[in-house]
Amino acid sequence: MSDNGQEAVLYVMTHGLESPERCATPFFLAASAAAMDVDAGIYFTMNGPQLLKQGNPEKIGPKGEQGQKLRYFIDQAVDCGVKLYICQPSLDLNDLKYEDLIEGVEMIGGAAFNDMAMEASAVISF
Amino acid sequence: MEDRPNGALTPNETLDVKGAACPIPVVKTAKTMKTLSTGDVLEIFATDPGVEPDMKAWTKQTGNELLSIDRDGDVFRVLVRKS
Repeated sequence: MSDNGQEAVLYVMTHGLESPERCATPFFLAASAAAMDVDAGIYFTMNGPQLLKQGNPEKIGPKGEQGQKLRYFIDQAVDCGVKLYICQPSLDLNDLKYEDLIEGVEMIGGAAFNDMAMEASAVISF
Repeated sequence: MEDRPNGALTPNETLDVKGAACPIPVVKTAKTMKTLSTGDVLEIFATDPGVEPDMKAWTKQTGNELLSIDRDGDVFRVLVRKS
């Protein structure tokens, strides 16, 4: 259960620009969870923050030049109420600053992440 | 209303998500249901082959009532009632 008493699913995204085919799935699973009235969040770590750098969502898509770009899946998830989380060391690892990211990403730390993981009904890592 | 076949139910709203893949049917169903009142019936037309398990899971989780799922060729017709 999360802070507001709802069930929660936390997704962890560790992949970035090196594997575009992996970029969209966490977003649409989280969107589905949010549509089920479940609190859904995605935590970006390791290479994951690369997906949230301004400009990148428009550049890559899970099927390359075919189909929707990542921006479509991000917008769909956020529109459903999915929260996007990141932490400072993951930004440093990718030489990113918070200002480089698309809007709507929330900065947390390791303690907050672990707390969310323990409170969630499920944690799913990609 | 309960003893009539679902075909005789007049939906309050119809959602056509034919051709759309996961997660669009569930996402749009959730959004449309938010605009309806308790007791209202939403009719959904979908071709996503996963729509049956998805709608069962969605109604189980959200507490809305799954009235029926019928299939005609590739098209599923789903009726859900807002609880």
